[in-house]
Amino acid sequence: MTKTINITLKIWRQKGPEAKGRLETANAANISTDMSFLEMLDVVNEKLTVDGKEPIAFESDCREGICGSCGCVVNGEAHGPEKGTSLCQLHMRHFNDGDTIVIEPWRARAFPIIKDLIVDRAALDDLIRAGGYISVNTGSAPDANTLPVPQRDAELAFDAAACIGCGACIAACPNASAMLFVGAKVSHMALLPQGRPEAAKRALSMVGKMDDLAFGNCSNHKECEAVCPKEISITNIARLNREYIKAGFGSAEK
Amino acid sequence: MSLNANIPLGPLTDKWDQHRFKLKLVNPANKRKYDILVVGTGLAGASAAASLAELGYNVKAFTYHDSPRRAHSIAAQGGINAAKNYTNEGDSIWRLFYDTIKGGDFRSREANVYRLAQVSNNIIDQCTAQGVPFAREYGGLLANRSFGGAQVSRTFYARGQTGQQLLIGAYSAMMRQVALGKVELLTRREMLDVVVSNGRAQGIVVRNMVTGELETYAGHAVLLCTGGYGNVFYLSTNAMNCNVTATYRAYRRGAYFANPCFTQIHPTCIPVHGTYQSKLTLMSESLRNDGRVWVPKQAGDKRAPSEIPESERDYYLERKYPSFGNLVPRDVASRNAKEQCDMGKGVGETGLAVYLDFRDAIQRDGRDTIEKKYGNLFQMYEKITADNPYEMPMMIYPAVHYTMGGLWVDYNLMSSVDGLFVLGEANFSDHGANRLGASALMQGLADGYFVIPYTIGGYLNTVSWDPVTAEGPAFSQTVKEVDEKIQRLLSVNGTRTVDDFHRELGLIMWDYCGMSRKDEGLEKARGMIQDLREEFWNDVRVPGADRDLNQSLEKAGRVADFLEFSELMIIDALQRRESCGGHFNEGFQTEENEALRDDENFSHVAAWEFAGDGAEPVFHKEPLVFENVELATRSYK
Amino acid sequence: MNWLTQTLGSAIGKKLLMAITGLSFIGFLAAHLAGNLTIYGGKDAFNSYAEHLHALGPLLTVAELGLLTFALIHVLTGALLFYQNWRARPTRYAVDRSSGGRSIGSRTMPYTGVIILAFVIFHLINFSFVDKRHITIFELVASAFQNPLYVVAYVAAMVVVALHVSHGFWSLFQTLGANHPKYMPAITIIGLGLSLVFAIGFGFIPVYILFIA
Ligand SMILES: Cc1cc2nc3c(=O)[nH]c(=O)nc-3n(C[C@H](O)[C@H](O)[C@H](O)COP(=O)(O)OP(=O)(O)OC[C@H]3O[C@@H](n4cnc5c(N)ncnc54)[C@H](O)[C@@H]3O)c2cc1C
Ligand code: HEM
Ligand code: FES
Repeated sequence: MTKTINITLKIWRQKGPEAKGRLETANAANISTDMSFLEMLDVVNEKLTVDGKEPIAFESDCREGICGSCGCVVNGEAHGPEKGTSLCQLHMRHFNDGDTIVIEPWRARAFPIIKDLIVDRAALDDLIRAGGYISVNTGSAPDANTLPVPQRDAELAFDAAACIGCGACIAACPNASAMLFVGAKVSHMALLPQGRPEAAKRALSMVGKMDDLAFGNCSNHKECEAVCPKEISITNIARLNREYIKAGFGSAEK
Repeated sequence: MSLNANIPLGPLTDKWDQHRFKLKLVNPANKRKYDILVVGTGLAGASAAASLAELGYNVKAFTYHDSPRRAHSIAAQGGINAAKNYTNEGDSIWRLFYDTIKGGDFRSREANVYRLAQVSNNIIDQCTAQGVPFAREYGGLLANRSFGGAQVSRTFYARGQTGQQLLIGAYSAMMRQVALGKVELLTRREMLDVVVSNGRAQGIVVRNMVTGELETYAGHAVLLCTGGYGNVFYLSTNAMNCNVTATYRAYRRGAYFANPCFTQIHPTCIPVHGTYQSKLTLMSESLRNDGRVWVPKQAGDKRAPSEIPESERDYYLERKYPSFGNLVPRDVASRNAKEQCDMGKGVGETGLAVYLDFRDAIQRDGRDTIEKKYGNLFQMYEKITADNPYEMPMMIYPAVHYTMGGLWVDYNLMSSVDGLFVLGEANFSDHGANRLGASALMQGLADGYFVIPYTIGGYLNTVSWDPVTAEGPAFSQTVKEVDEKIQRLLSVNGTRTVDDFHRELGLIMWDYCGMSRKDEGLEKARGMIQDLREEFWNDVRVPGADRDLNQSLEKAGRVADFLEFSELMIIDALQRRESCGGHFNEGFQTEENEALRDDENFSHVAAWEFAGDGAEPVFHKEPLVFENVELATRSYK
Repeated sequence: MNWLTQTLGSAIGKKLLMAITGLSFIGFLAAHLAGNLTIYGGKDAFNSYAEHLHALGPLLTVAELGLLTFALIHVLTGALLFYQNWRARPTRYAVDRSSGGRSIGSRTMPYTGVIILAFVIFHLINFSFVDKRHITIFELVASAFQNPLYVVAYVAAMVVVALHVSHGFWSLFQTLGANHPKYMPAITIIGLGLSLVFAIGFGFIPVYILFIA
């Protein structure tokens, strides 16, 4: 049932990368429980604008949980309290009248804050650039059915490829580690015959890049899996470990 | 004046081969002397950037997103067509061509559509090789499903996230070129203008969205791959940031805009809940494979769906179109839903919804099978509505989804400005008056992987490879004009927010230029838009500064362009004195309320040339010649 | 950099070192516990176990040196990981809530580790680096555990070891890449079981000596 609630927000405001930020209080009044979390922020921003203040900067685009643009830490949890849900798909019906909600940006050395809740996630592109691809030039592909792929492998590869690159895994990890992100990409490609030829090289270079980018290490806390909007499993991290160990000790790749 | 689309002569089936043969090649050693600017890194842009870089060109790729992987293509759910005929149902390049031409209500170019069908198979091969995890059968071979407007299963899919997987493929191919130093990736850059001088595109002006700085880039060719303009309606299935700015600014610099009134309303979206709503969510059309669309027979029937017995349900699509049933093309399905709701048979709180029911499919195939096919869509539906579609029929209603209109391009994908190419949804080329499901992904990738790599060479052979720089009066003048607009937006300091104006514009467009249109309505809307535009420039409030990350300013610039562009849509809609595909003018319909085309007078592309602020745009006609298909009245009965 | 140091120095390599050394400690603990259980057989049984052990001579020294090396690796790598992980998030969250991944064991790894280190040193000073020419090992142990403070410290230390192993055991399999949907549930249970065995098996010895023996 639709109803309206009033809530208090404590939101991280920070003017720029170098500026000092702080939590500021804002009220969100008469919020319909059918609204999404971001629509609630839209309402707050409309009011701030009309009141002559600067609206809160936050990112979103598809608002259907697939582009990975959105994401904040809500009451200490990346993307908020619902499992398998990105912030844009979180609805206000999961909050109660009178609640106080603390909203913070993703925090990691590899994700510097640009403004308010917006962080720079270019490090994720850097990781893909380090090897998150299969080297095949346009036009050189054989017929798609030349290489059969067991349905199970294709499904597992898809499970890993479902990553939307939002960065929640890194935000939620007590060590700000990118192992789930890298694990998902390495798994996606390692599970498909098309990805095998470069598997060793990919694992080594993506992990090397991850270290260069000042991400933390994995302590197997499993927080990443718990917050992932696509519920990507940490078995992908195990697969990355396997691929890496194989590549490091068993391949000629350096 | 009649437009020349540079369609090669010869039989349809040979045109593309002949053309590729005749196009002069650029010597591999010379390719690296050319700089190409690719604006937009969705399917069209990323595939083009990757392919051109592989050939050796120097590519700079721009996107307003923080990463190319966020382009709106990521949201495509259902699938991508190809004429592989893996299912042995008798599919062929010719059939895919025919279905697409017919689905487009005979308002697209034969030659383009045929080429699209020809390269469709290469796309599947390419994407599979890149590691796109398409759905597979137990034996390990690729699976297909059927989609609206076709009677064969030719749609390849990756669960309900096909666009995501294809984009990740194209994105990773591009990132590989970034690693190799052949593509320079410039993210968080919004293109605000094209620099044109001597009738030729010289470069672009972009705003660095982090610092607010205006930057200029020069190239031997500029590719706009900037997506569609569905957000002119405010509420649509498009991502929040989709906009018309890139193509509209190019239009103002001399590129013709073709068929802007051809917009697609998708029949299966989650209905609107409230005024705060920021966007609409699509439920993939693939759901119509197994879901049955119905409304109560009795208007105003407020019973819960489970309490309405079979005999009191009207499966109106199956009743009216027995051969295609629930799989009629989108325009037909949408208009019928609206018709049912207009008759008072709509369901849900607002009465603006129809049921899409999986009860029978679950009984037939079992819940597991249905979950495997549509699990993530059902989950998404439940998240948004808090209703469980396994138990309750979904409620759906049409919403703006895709824009067939776009910048006019010739067979080489070049616009009416030399050196300015347009790819993907941003051009008008292949879908006529209505796009069939699963063919936008196909077109975007066809343009980027398999068309532009050849056709751009033909153009580059005509220009010198001397290094280009972003200097000179054309650049400084364009920057000045861009800056003036920004300063103007910031200085109004009125009382209404940008979103507020956008919402109002959207309602006007939806009411008068949406699923069905009337002459009086269109005329009225035109006046309303002019008034709203005036009010915007007097009363909009854009907080913040220009040299800063300023999302209000970004939106304001886009909405300012929508406020001008929407009028062009109306002008185009008024000009087309017929109904076809997504353009349904109530004045032109058959007795059975189907679209009534006028092939004699309107079998053409309407391309509009900017003639200055306040002046009527100039109309150019590209006649459509049909030599290989017979213009029939579309019938899905 | 050489391929070996490069591989072992990476995020995964460091964890690999932790996992292998950790696994060997678990093996050591299991063997140590098996030996210690002879204490329930009485004074002679326990003393003869100690004698047999020392009769191994150089073999024992090798094992001890091996353990020492592994301990150095485990401790130093653990310290490095802790530092790097802490540095990876310069600004902490104002509100930090688990979404259900972390366990007490995983949260406390570095801290339980330090306590274990302190305990191991204390333990070695007590029972290893003492002049054992005039006293049997049983007497040594029995007299130490007459002090209730000792008993409390030992029991507490064993609880800490159990915590460390409760996360460490399944975690090392994950690190080695041996996470399989069919076997992981069993590994997790074995890990918890093993922690209990360590806590009770080791922890009950001082209690037994103080109150029962
Ligand atoms: C919800 C949904 C589902 C869909 N499902 C399907 C489907 O199942 N099958 C199918 O075939 N089609 C589907 N479509 C349509 C299809 O997804 C799109 O038409 C297609 O992906 C467009 O690709 P594109 O590359 O042309 O543009 P986009 O993917 O929209 O990319 C546009 C790019 O341009 C950039 N850009 C735009 N303007 C500027 C600027 N001014 N400056 C800098 N950069 C700019 C953006 O950052 C982005 O990178 C769907 C569409 C929607 C909305
Ligand atoms: C009885 C002795 C010990 C045993 C059995 C043991 C066992 C383990 C095991 C199995 C792991 C898991 C490795 C992995 O996740 O792959 C581990 C991790 C760890 N150990 Fe130990 N350990 C012992 C002593 C110590 C000591 C003395 C220290 C440090 C002072 C220490 C610090 C750590 C740390 C910090 C980790 C976590 C590393 C990470 O995941 O980030 N341990 N230990
Ligand atoms: S806005 Fe796209 S995932 Fe949330």
